[in-house]
Amino acid sequence: MQRYFLVVLAFIMLISACDQGVKEVKVDADVYHQTVEKLSEIIVHDIFSPPVASRIYAYPSIATYEVLASEQPKYLSLVGQVSELSALPEAKKEVSYELAALEAFIATGKALIFSEDQLDTFREKLYKELREGVNRKYFDASLAYGQEVAKHILAWADGDMYKQTRTYPKFTVKEDPTRWQPTPPGYFEAIEPHWNEIRTFVIDSANQFVPKPPTEYDLTPGSQFHSELMEVYEVRKKLTEEQKEIASFWDCNPYVMNVTGHLMAASKKITPGGHWIGITKIVSQKAGADFMKSAEAYALTSIALADAFISCWDEKYRSSLIRPETLINQHIDEEWLPLLQTPPFPEYTSGHSVISSAAAIALTHIYGDNFSFDDTTEEKYGLPMRSFNSFFEASEEAAISRLYGGIHYRPAIENGVIQGRALGKYVINKIQLKKDELSKK
Amino acid sequence: MRLFGIFLLLFLLLFSACQQSEQSDPIFELLDAESTGMDFTNSLKPTDSLNILEYLYFYNGGGVGAGDVNNDGWIDLYFVSNQGENKLYLNQGGFRFEDVTTEAGVAGKADWSAGVTMADVNGDGYLDIYVSNVSGYKGLKGHNELFINNQDGTFTESADDYGLAHQGFSTQAAFFDYDRDGDLDMYLLNHSVKSPEVFSPAVARHVADAKGDKLFRNEGGVFMDVTQESGIYSSLIGFGLGLSIADLNQDGWPDIYVSNDFTENDYLYINQQDGTFTEELEQRIQYTSRYAMGNVVADVNNDAFSEIITTDMLPKNPEIWRKSVVEDKKEVYDIKINYGYGHQYVRNTLQKNLGNGQFSDVSFYANTYASDWSWSPLIFDMDNDGWPDLHITNGIFKRPNDLDYVNYSTVNEETKDMNAKELQRYLINGLPTVKIPNLAMKNKGNFNFISQAEEWGLSQPSYSNGSAYADLNNDGQLDLVVNNTEQASFIYKNINPKKNAYLSLRLVEKGNNSFALGAKVKVKTKGQVFYRENFNTRGFQSAVPPMLYFGLGDAQKVDELEIVWPDGKVQILNNVEVNQQLTIKKEAKAPKMKLTVSAAQHFEIIDSPIAYKHEEDAFNDLNASYLMPRKYSTEGPALAIGDVNGDGLDDVFLGGAKKQSAELWIQSLEGSFNKKQNKSFEQLSISEDVAALFFDANGNGHLDLYVTSAGNEYKEGQLFTYDKLYINDGKGNFSFSPMALPQIGSHGKSVVAFDADNDGDLDLFVGANISHGNYGESPKPYLLINNGNGIFEDQTYQRLPNAKSLGMVNAAAVLDYNNDGHADLVLAGEWMPVTLLENDGKGNFSKAKVKGFEKSEGWWYSLALSDVNGDGKKDIIAGNLGWNTKLKASEDQPVQLYLNDFDNNGQKDPILFHFQAGQATPFATRNDLIAQVSAFKKLHKNYTAYAQLEGAEELFAGVNTEEMVKKEVYEFSSVVFLQQEDGSFQKITLPQEAQYAPIMNILAKDFDDDGNIDLLLAGNLYAFRNDYGRAAAKPFTLLKGKGNGQFSPTNDAYLNTHLTWGEYRHLGWLQGNGKPQVVATRNNQTPVWLKLK
Repeated sequence: MQRYFLVVLAFIMLISACDQGVKEVKVDADVYHQTVEKLSEIIVHDIFSPPVASRIYAYPSIATYEVLASEQPKYLSLVGQVSELSALPEAKKEVSYELAALEAFIATGKALIFSEDQLDTFREKLYKELREGVNRKYFDASLAYGQEVAKHILAWADGDMYKQTRTYPKFTVKEDPTRWQPTPPGYFEAIEPHWNEIRTFVIDSANQFVPKPPTEYDLTPGSQFHSELMEVYEVRKKLTEEQKEIASFWDCNPYVMNVTGHLMAASKKITPGGHWIGITKIVSQKAGADFMKSAEAYALTSIALADAFISCWDEKYRSSLIRPETLINQHIDEEWLPLLQTPPFPEYTSGHSVISSAAAIALTHIYGDNFSFDDTTEEKYGLPMRSFNSFFEASEEAAISRLYGGIHYRPAIENGVIQGRALGKYVINKIQLKKDELSKK
Repeated sequence: MRLFGIFLLLFLLLFSACQQSEQSDPIFELLDAESTGMDFTNSLKPTDSLNILEYLYFYNGGGVGAGDVNNDGWIDLYFVSNQGENKLYLNQGGFRFEDVTTEAGVAGKADWSAGVTMADVNGDGYLDIYVSNVSGYKGLKGHNELFINNQDGTFTESADDYGLAHQGFSTQAAFFDYDRDGDLDMYLLNHSVKSPEVFSPAVARHVADAKGDKLFRNEGGVFMDVTQESGIYSSLIGFGLGLSIADLNQDGWPDIYVSNDFTENDYLYINQQDGTFTEELEQRIQYTSRYAMGNVVADVNNDAFSEIITTDMLPKNPEIWRKSVVEDKKEVYDIKINYGYGHQYVRNTLQKNLGNGQFSDVSFYANTYASDWSWSPLIFDMDNDGWPDLHITNGIFKRPNDLDYVNYSTVNEETKDMNAKELQRYLINGLPTVKIPNLAMKNKGNFNFISQAEEWGLSQPSYSNGSAYADLNNDGQLDLVVNNTEQASFIYKNINPKKNAYLSLRLVEKGNNSFALGAKVKVKTKGQVFYRENFNTRGFQSAVPPMLYFGLGDAQKVDELEIVWPDGKVQILNNVEVNQQLTIKKEAKAPKMKLTVSAAQHFEIIDSPIAYKHEEDAFNDLNASYLMPRKYSTEGPALAIGDVNGDGLDDVFLGGAKKQSAELWIQSLEGSFNKKQNKSFEQLSISEDVAALFFDANGNGHLDLYVTSAGNEYKEGQLFTYDKLYINDGKGNFSFSPMALPQIGSHGKSVVAFDADNDGDLDLFVGANISHGNYGESPKPYLLINNGNGIFEDQTYQRLPNAKSLGMVNAAAVLDYNNDGHADLVLAGEWMPVTLLENDGKGNFSKAKVKGFEKSEGWWYSLALSDVNGDGKKDIIAGNLGWNTKLKASEDQPVQLYLNDFDNNGQKDPILFHFQAGQATPFATRNDLIAQVSAFKKLHKNYTAYAQLEGAEELFAGVNTEEMVKKEVYEFSSVVFLQQEDGSFQKITLPQEAQYAPIMNILAKDFDDDGNIDLLLAGNLYAFRNDYGRAAAKPFTLLKGKGNGQFSPTNDAYLNTHLTWGEYRHLGWLQGNGKPQVVATRNNQTPVWLKLK
């Protein structure tokens, strides 16, 4: 390995000895989209849970945005607008900000995922192409600057309580009949019970957007709660084909455990946040957005997503509500299975409802309402395209899909949408990415 | 590449096997089909409608049945093919077999077959054949088949006529006369096909289903389904894979053992002698295999009581182990417990029969706990040396528990365009295959086993399922037959060159049970007893001949042969020649069996005279400190005994768990106890009392009371962790003395009072065993100096310079070891040696420079001091983890602990390593490790890479380890340190019987008045994480002192009943007007009282 490295090094030195080539690197928006998509693939491979994945999208997206914005007079830095981000280092040499922005994304992302080799391979291939005809020192200086920014962003990320919360106490299952308990077939522990201690990006605190409490637990037939429970049970029986498609399309469960006897095989999909990152790509392409504009879209969407997860998880472990599958199995039908596998965390509010609503606000803010698009994000995972007339249409479908999927009661969806929209609006009002937005306010 | 991997694996396996084996000539020779004429292979044809995804037991394989079907004196063989034709081979002698399936008409018509057993169902003296089939599922047709022997080489399938044509999912059947009416009844073991991955509450076992297990009573040749009225569980949560019949409680009536796969408990049905059974497993067995497959019941240690062996799927090879789904995650384990299931672990068990109806798993001691994906266990004497050996078939054609497969098999790029069927095929094709040898272990007596598969010629790699032993050439040496998947079956001829003595018995009865199924035979040679029961369904889906085989070693003759016939009549033959096959007919006028009475006992278990039960709270510190090997939140209850009111009678103080008030019980002249109300106890019930001590704190002649608060729920120094001192008014009224103590916030586990500074009052040493949130670190102990008035000052660091590095102290004792008049301290605990601290006479302590404790780092729990060899010097008895655990420690292969904040998050992560196959390997699974330290996930990209890590250096490569602390333990034996003339100590290991469980407390007294100190040890610790497993093998051990420092085991089984089983914490010696009593406290239970006889 080391020898191979030396050979490569020697080769690089040889070809670059002459210090020629242009001092310009143009990074096409599509290259950035591919890079974000690669990150998504690795997140799927490495099995990150939805909240953790949202964190992994946010930091690299911000890194890219910051590098690009620093040289665009129209754009504003996020420094001072997101919690605890200090001024970024400036480039000391002549660099390509676009290349540096790309490298900042890759270097930040690499530190946050596990399968570094996959990102390395992608990066090598990518730079081999970009490097062609470019001045070596210029190219390398751009990379070095990108890495410097990444280092800065990672130092910032290091203070967000992520690593501390790794060893915090696990969620305890108690005999309380209303309290969440692990669900079949994996019976996984509740994930990220301390996610509300993660530093928020824009919102004041995890509990800034507390939804109204879930319906009071009451299994008396005719009670509000019982009717909501029965709705989940009944809906499952008469699902239309389209409703089933909708449920599957928005499943976005990164780790579905398929079990037959002793045989287990996980099928892995993109997370809910990852789905919206995918939509960001699709609509940026459709809008013909350049690298800067795309970076803006990713940054804003990923920030909205990350804060939405923190807000949603805050409520999840406040109410710690039991999933419909558990109650239906206990009280109504032992054999009942939801269409989707119940994900391993408390029921209220619906994560997909909260984060999709927040993301829809962010994307509408950038690309406008009634922006129609063909959502092909799930094709990779064997699910056909669905078309939407607007981001809100998509987010509302994502929300109601959880009822069809049999994993949420209706209030988690409806109140989740309210929670996500309020949060999204707050985020877009609080953050100013373009200078001309100042005058609008 | 894969081939190479397998080769490497095999090499590793061989290598690891060699380490514990001994040189031997081969005992078995694998015969080929050409020489035997037997070319049976269980081949499978997976289709889109029937495969491992559609039928969970697709790769369970077929059984084999052995028996002489034509009464020509040669054992014939019946092989089950899951999908193809079953085969009957007639033994023609000389290891030649003839396939007579077609002529005999026994191929079977069912689409799927599993198990076979032979029995003379119609009582005509000829063996019939019963085949268990799977039908009515995924298009599989057929029913169970009973081939009645026509005595002319042909059979007639007559299951329907006999009422035994069950349709469903049958695994195996056993014929036995449960109502002892002279004919054979039948237990039918079935398995469910309900999704086992969705857990049902355990009470679902009471919901009978047509597809569940069945009991049939033979009524004049027709079998009636008596499942319901007999008390047999017949539910959909039973995944029955193993079935044995045996008289497990020695009452003469056959009992039933059923091993169940998945969440359901195994069943131990005790015959109630009235046509019904009660399931009593949880009263008699502490835990079972999780995914129990086959089982066998047979006497392993020649004490005339039958052990129970169950198989599971724990890999023996450490590399396969670490990349396989093995033990449940702790959360899932807890869920199953909450659903009402018993404790179950993914490993084989060897349940030692204590002879009193209780069983105790010694599989860790015996090293039989892991044999990979296992099916059929058989106990038979392979070398006829008198000790029955163990053979376990293993392997699965497609291995579905490979963690890389589970997590990384569904490659989206490849699978995205596949339809459901294509995806299924893709998934099945991707399943890893690992072919490994079966397990063979030589029994060296007293549960000592060594691996001998390689030496004995039994190490051919295979996917093996059913198996049976039989003497196929009538030479008195047992041969072995194995049914393999996708591979020719094995016929192993026993070629043992050492001709040990043997005796083979064929029992004959008149009437419908012509082979005397259920007869029990004891063969007695000089000083030895060999015991067998004549039940033939054994192992997995298989049956051995209805005969009994005895290997007798070098015995010249049998002194006495005792046969207890199925009806209880006893027949005794004296001076029987060895080396013969004997046919014994039942004599008409044999007398009835008498039940024997047990031997002398020194203690009597009496009802607790006090109404106290320790009630542990739900807090579990493993939720917060995930990588600790055990809980520290269940250390109570505290116990103190002393005469608190000066009436000459000992009184009893018992601590409470969190939110449980402590209690003081005053002894009356008649020996009864009255609870003394105490407001302070109630007010301070919020803390968890772990250790307590009566001592005179203020020198007024009355016993005061010190109680530690622990539980590891709160950080040190938190209010609820402060220890308490209560002052006695002389009448047993204790009042809390809030100013007497500094704030002692450690998790105190032990306390002793002594005059440390030679000023005439009692000072205190308080040892703590856990540093909250920092497992492995030394918590602060306390040396408390008394000002003479019962006011104590913390002078720990002034007087005990190494207080910060002592270890996790569980026990403390005061010993003036050098007779200088100054009280020295002995300490013992986890991750520390037995430590002697010498007092300089002024109350300053330093480590004594005394030989004898080198490399004594262990997991010590208890100490006692006594002069056990009568030389006038106090010796140290020290209780340790013992030998019956997954972890083994020695000087060469220590258990290691690495403490480091690997992810710089301010919490130290304890990573434990132990040696497996000569290699230090991390104990935690990759999932558990990365849950605690996600950085590790970057270092090894998949489970295979993790499994191949060699040693700690490789695991930690690339991680900052500058401040890493490494600890090692070398000694897990419970021992006695005998003090020598020169003041040094000599370590004497206590007998094996004292090593089956952790020793939590020790009482050293001369119980039998022979002048020698004896030992009563109280054991068990259930606090271990489920991947270590609760240590529950032995509550009490009573050792008889020989007076020279040595101890011999006694028959202490009578102390270990279902009433006394539990995890012990303290032993107290209580005196009053009558005989002294032992008070033994158990966590979360009532105390046990033993009265000296």
